[in-house]
Amino acid sequence: MRLELRGITKKFGSLTANDHIDLVVEPGQIHCLLGENGAGKSTLMNVLFGLLQADEGEILIDGEPVRLANSGDAVRRGIGMVHQHFMLVPVFTVAENVVLGFEPTRSLDRLDYARAREDIRSVSREFGLEVDPDAVVESLPIGLQQRVEIIKALGHDAQLLILDEPTAVLTPQEADALMTIMRSLAASGKSILFISHKLKEVRQVSDVITVIRAGRVIGSVPPSATEGELAAMMVGREVSLVVEKTAAAPAEPVLEVRDLVVRDDRGLAVVDGVSLEVRAGEIVALAGVQGNGQTELVEAITGLRHVESGTVRLAGRDVTNRSPREILDAGLGHIPEDRQRDGVVLSMSVADNMVLNTPRRAPFARRGTRNLRAVRDNAETLVESFDVRTSSVDAPLSSLSGGNQQKVIVARELSRPLEALVASQPTRGLDVGSIEYVHREIVRVRDEGHAVLIVSSELDEVMALGDRVAVMFQGRITGVVDPSTSREDVGLLMTGSVPAESR
Amino acid sequence: MTALAADAVAKVRQPLGRTQAIGWFVIVVGLFTVFGMGVGTGSAPRSTLTFTPIDVSHGAPWHLGNLTLPTEWTLVLLGAVIVGLGAEVLVRRLVKGAMVRVGLMAIVFLLAVLVWASRQPGPSQVPFINLTAILVGSAAITMILIYGSLSGILCERAGVVNIAIEGQFLGGYLVGEMIDSATNNWLLATVGGVVIGALMGWLLAFLAIRYLSDQIIVGVVIVTMFTGLASYFNSWVLTPYPNLNNGNIASNLAIPGLMKIPIIGPTFFDETGYFYLMMGLVGLVSFGLFRTRWGLRVRAVGEHPQAAASVGISVERTRYINVILGGAVAGVGGVAFAAIQGQFTPSITSGFGYIALAAMIFGRWRPSGAVAACTLFGVSAYLAYNLQSYQVPISTEILLMFPYLITIAVSAGLVGRVRPPAADGIPYSRE
Repeated sequence: MRLELRGITKKFGSLTANDHIDLVVEPGQIHCLLGENGAGKSTLMNVLFGLLQADEGEILIDGEPVRLANSGDAVRRGIGMVHQHFMLVPVFTVAENVVLGFEPTRSLDRLDYARAREDIRSVSREFGLEVDPDAVVESLPIGLQQRVEIIKALGHDAQLLILDEPTAVLTPQEADALMTIMRSLAASGKSILFISHKLKEVRQVSDVITVIRAGRVIGSVPPSATEGELAAMMVGREVSLVVEKTAAAPAEPVLEVRDLVVRDDRGLAVVDGVSLEVRAGEIVALAGVQGNGQTELVEAITGLRHVESGTVRLAGRDVTNRSPREILDAGLGHIPEDRQRDGVVLSMSVADNMVLNTPRRAPFARRGTRNLRAVRDNAETLVESFDVRTSSVDAPLSSLSGGNQQKVIVARELSRPLEALVASQPTRGLDVGSIEYVHREIVRVRDEGHAVLIVSSELDEVMALGDRVAVMFQGRITGVVDPSTSREDVGLLMTGSVPAESR
Repeated sequence: MTALAADAVAKVRQPLGRTQAIGWFVIVVGLFTVFGMGVGTGSAPRSTLTFTPIDVSHGAPWHLGNLTLPTEWTLVLLGAVIVGLGAEVLVRRLVKGAMVRVGLMAIVFLLAVLVWASRQPGPSQVPFINLTAILVGSAAITMILIYGSLSGILCERAGVVNIAIEGQFLGGYLVGEMIDSATNNWLLATVGGVVIGALMGWLLAFLAIRYLSDQIIVGVVIVTMFTGLASYFNSWVLTPYPNLNNGNIASNLAIPGLMKIPIIGPTFFDETGYFYLMMGLVGLVSFGLFRTRWGLRVRAVGEHPQAAASVGISVERTRYINVILGGAVAGVGGVAFAAIQGQFTPSITSGFGYIALAAMIFGRWRPSGAVAACTLFGVSAYLAYNLQSYQVPISTEILLMFPYLITIAVSAGLVGRVRPPAADGIPYSRE
């Protein structure tokens, strides 16, 4: 299928999310749409998939203008989408998910399961995507769930596949497998529109890369463009992609975790005997595919989750199962994984958010009464020194961009006396410019002699930032390696297997 | 916000170790049956089970005689059965099955209470237990509850919590009673019940879907509003015009032949048309939800509305239709209530809508499960209303708490594992 977008414009109030976007995807082409979060990629995809209606512009399929009033229209026109957050019903079987919306039926509106299974098997055979039609989706690993999404799109006879940030949830091995699938689909004549902000994989798999920024097309380049060029196009200025840091000078252990066992909400031991040591003046980066216990480990360290057994020591003090208040006061800085849920109060002002964990302390409060003057002054100073872009310190935090919200958290955590810093997914959802900034601040904390624990599912970040890299899989640390270890070996540790030989 | 709600739902799962507590609880109930009620009653008392139907037309051709049992040994036996159920939970480490065992325990325990209460010589004024009468009486209550549960299932499977069932019962009851009093025609009354129920369903759907209101609050508001409205109607219309509230009940449509089977006949085959309609609806909803395209789509909307929308299913339309259907079913339930109970009074539904909702949860959002739970709750409610004649030293009010206690235990994850539709109660918006 040849897809052409002409002058697509979509506005939300005063914000122009898409500004006269032109784009052509040729048959059999893997076309990458590269842009930062908030650049307008998702809006464009939703327009293309019929979930949003464009204010201006037209969509042409094989030269013919089409109107896509809803996603059903898009599917009937041969457009299939694999969403970043899978559009699968977890309690349904693979077959039920694949046929949903386009169900084969027998008399009395009864579902024809036999035909559904057969259809899936034929798609599986044709494209080499093996999966059991009767498996319940929630019991499948993420990589297979994504495969179900692809089969679903192909089962509806998609000629153009939209893949929205498909590698975000995958291990490096799964991501490689996906690239292979993408290439074979393209070879069989399907067109692929691939959305990503990861420079490495974009160059690896695309035929053409179109960069968008602030709702506009900046340009289309071949995959031979360097990462530096692509990053500059995305951000609009030169950015440093490597984290500049000197060799670490680790001193005494500050954060010590011993034989920690933590259960999740379902009662499963998702942290299953983890021991980890972070020394003053070093960054330990915890790698792993999401959902292998990293979240619960951090929650246990910060006092947000009950520790079943084992100990957490901070600067020599046992803080196991202490309240978050005590742990923060003992000198732990925490940049939480889900910043909007656990890190800030969106409806409160920038100034209030900056004292969220010290509201009762002098000078911000005295004898139970807040000193608003001090709170304001503190915020003014931090906004200045951490370069937070906000209209005023009284503005509600929800009015700030994601990157600036994260800066507010970073400013708050780093502006008080610390022993150790724990940062979960510190750059998730941030643009390249903000990532650069957050990385520099984290290195600065280390250089001031504090212990830093970073948890990230972005392998690039882990390798760039860590002085030592610990890999977590199914609740255990499968290895602690040097950041110079090959990505493949770290990837193997992330799947629980031990590399044949660590060189 | 939706993420938080989803978290809350996820936390209703059951930690594995808790089945042990349940197993021990069941065993304690069993031991109480054996030693608290059974041993010590002595060898003299006897309990008599009788199966004679109240309606003489059910007599021939098969007749079951009375069954006289030694009270003590019967209670020991029943207690042993309960202990066995508890032991099974412990030994087989049942998680899913624990709920069924607790239900069975409740039934056996109720039976034991009856046996104990009716012992002769003893304080009871009723010298026997009429099992047939109990089942017939329970069937009426159970039917009402099942209408409510089906209504709840239709709504919640599509992701809308219908806590307004109580109000829809009341609406159906009032309208049904008035129409039947005026026209002497239950068919017209049923149509009226469908209309008022559907309208109340539409109101809930409109507020919940169009304005994304909190469904629980809207539901409670609808119940409160309708309770007030019904009182108003009662004082200003029904009291001055008593011929609009003449309290007729519907006559039974007995199925010839089948109705003469002992126990089963009077319970299932000599009922009002509403009972047969209910049975048909159970089958229809069960088939529709789990076998058809319609059901697949409804369940997808209740589990993951974004996924449903991404394949072109209209979440809003599906929810509207189901909530209106659910309202109509509850409305018919209200008319059925009027058809067996007669005269309208403003507090007549006395919380049955909520018990029905509890049964839906206990029945895990499945029609078959709901029927089982409604039967259990129906029997216990019937006994609660009638145990006084046996001089049981427990008050009706305490016994009526039983369904709610079970529901609290179930939804707090104390018993078994319940898992509501993932998007249940969460307003859906496209962005």
